[in-house]
Amino acid sequence: MGIFVDIYDAIMNFLIFFFSTWELAPWVRGIVGGAVIGGVFGGALVMVYLERKFLGDIQSRIGPNRVGGRFGLLQLIADAVKLFTKEDIIPANADKWLFIGAPIVALTSGFLMVAVIPFDLLVIKGNEYALAVSTMDVSILYLEAVSALAIFGIFMAGWGSGSKYSLLAGFRNIAKMIGYEVPLGITIISVAVMAHSLDIVEIVKAQSSIWFIIAQPMGFVVFGIALLADVGRIPFDQTEAEEELIAGWATEYSGMRWGLAFFAEYFHAVVGAIVVSLIFLGGWNGLPLIGNLWIPGIFWVIVKAIFVMMGMIWVRGALPRLRIDQVSDIGWKVLIPLAMLNLVWSTIIGLMWA
Amino acid sequence: MTHTTTQITSPPKPSEILLHLGPQHPLQPGPFLLDLKIEGETIREAELKIGYIHKGMEKVFEDRTYIQILPLTDRICYLASNSNNDVYCRGMEELLGIEPTDRAKYLRVLTNELCRIQSHLLGIGEYTTDVGFLTMFIYMVREREGIVSLLEAITGSRLNHNYARFGGVAHDLPPGYKEMALKTLGELKKLVKSHDEMLSSDSVYLKRTKGVGVLTASQAKELGVAGPPLRATGVEYDLRRVEPYLVYDDLDFDVITQTDGDVFSRVKVRLLEILESIYIIEQVLDQMPTGPYKQNVMPYITRPAPGEVYSRIEDPRGEMGMYIISDGSDKPYRFRIRGPAFATAQALPPLLVGTYVADVAAIAASMDSCTSEVDR
Repeated sequence: MGIFVDIYDAIMNFLIFFFSTWELAPWVRGIVGGAVIGGVFGGALVMVYLERKFLGDIQSRIGPNRVGGRFGLLQLIADAVKLFTKEDIIPANADKWLFIGAPIVALTSGFLMVAVIPFDLLVIKGNEYALAVSTMDVSILYLEAVSALAIFGIFMAGWGSGSKYSLLAGFRNIAKMIGYEVPLGITIISVAVMAHSLDIVEIVKAQSSIWFIIAQPMGFVVFGIALLADVGRIPFDQTEAEEELIAGWATEYSGMRWGLAFFAEYFHAVVGAIVVSLIFLGGWNGLPLIGNLWIPGIFWVIVKAIFVMMGMIWVRGALPRLRIDQVSDIGWKVLIPLAMLNLVWSTIIGLMWA
Repeated sequence: MTHTTTQITSPPKPSEILLHLGPQHPLQPGPFLLDLKIEGETIREAELKIGYIHKGMEKVFEDRTYIQILPLTDRICYLASNSNNDVYCRGMEELLGIEPTDRAKYLRVLTNELCRIQSHLLGIGEYTTDVGFLTMFIYMVREREGIVSLLEAITGSRLNHNYARFGGVAHDLPPGYKEMALKTLGELKKLVKSHDEMLSSDSVYLKRTKGVGVLTASQAKELGVAGPPLRATGVEYDLRRVEPYLVYDDLDFDVITQTDGDVFSRVKVRLLEILESIYIIEQVLDQMPTGPYKQNVMPYITRPAPGEVYSRIEDPRGEMGMYIISDGSDKPYRFRIRGPAFATAQALPPLLVGTYVADVAAIAASMDSCTSEVDR
């Protein structure tokens, strides 16, 4: 075990050299940002593969098993080749610039979210360095704000496609998001109240003794449900309900444009899973009571995020889709009151803790 | 009695959209056009247009000899091919004045019930996937596999069985069939019970199905709806009980009914009917008489005496009837099919008015209508 820690430390020391030249060299941020985006991109690929295999297990199917050996490891590459070579169609009725811009906006929102996500906290020579592209005092609020940008992407696609199905999906998305961004925001505030900070790094540091999933389980449940709605997965995938709206807002997209839209969704799901692992599951802190086990923090984050992803896939395999009015009902009548209750709870507990 | 108009009469107002579901849409088992006038998510008017795969079967039948018609009856609805064979053969037997052998009667009941089970399994599966529950669809298809194999072992084919003959059936049971069937059915019984439990306790599923698309008993009777959608309204109407054919008189079974007439009840009726059909098959396998499975001389070139006959059967989807007029030649003078799916399809548009767009999929799939049969 020791040798791995040494290697890891050596790599991290090298990175710290970059961090220490932070002000001097803006290109360093560029490199780190590129690496993190690439990493989360890889995470999205892992999620797509996991979804196919794990959902296959739940549904007693095999999943991809031809391309790239018996585990279908290269299936995604084959899919990408297919998407790249397909014809790119912009419907005559479409509003061209909105149509083209929609997947870009959706994906950009995901990229912006990645900027503030810390993957580890390195303590070297008494100084703390968060392994993130950018650190800011209100990073969790920033995260909430840029994640909401994706709604514009979906509505742009819904309006710009010039199709009735897409338009209905756009309406549904707006209705859903108004209902679900509120409980999401309130739960984030509850977490911030307990951690006495809006900085994700501080929030994770506050969980070194006890995870917030234990301190405020209700908050975790509300956040989890609202997150599922936010990333638009079953039972909240009304915006692309196949049996009702064909493919919802993505109906008119084809080729790589559709691929981008599809990827933006998985990107959001992965970032959402990482955020859950950071603000509720203790982030880079190891298991409670047991501790870190000398495993570098970044692996804890990844492992926890994968568990959250598997939870999302499991929910998809186990539940039917809700109707849009029921979705709004749950958002306004159940989640918001629960989130407020949780805010009261976390304020009381947080004050006692302080 | 008045019922809601089933035609869109006026163009949409500025606050409304005319939405076409079909003729190509992921919801559909076959092509039909469902025009919906919607305001927001609420449906104001609905109109169903059929005829996209009209095959003109009844007219085609007038140009075929009686024995040539037999395999074509499979194609009316591929999920009910055994029932269609059986109802045609019983009509012809009445015209020809012959009686199937005792063993053939039991074999026909056996295959009809297997056919009902696999049709119901796929019907429930399609329904659950239309409310976004793909997992249950795949479970249902997995369970159906065993039943289709049982049918294949008797009839030699998996989809269009073409099994019944005038006065008998095409093949006898293969050796060791009883043990094989009892094993598969025993497993199926357990699985169906657990699926029933799973669906009845899933709160999201209950939200989507309870009180949605309520068909009242009087509405159903008025529109000629039979089968599971009628029994879900509480009417105890089952041709196997009302007008017993073949050997249903000697068999013990319950007519499954539910009281609410909503989507949930329709699916529940199908689930429970699977269990009832398994019970029937167990009795059939026990009581199966020995003897010939077909007439010694099969009437291949048939010229029935002039006359007419109407025979009917409890299809998986409702009441299937065939009306045959013979003029003494080797081809029917006139052939008319009364399909169950046509009646359930025409009950659909009035149910949709006032519901949400998302309920269209749930209600349409819960009727388990078969486009191929509607258009024939």
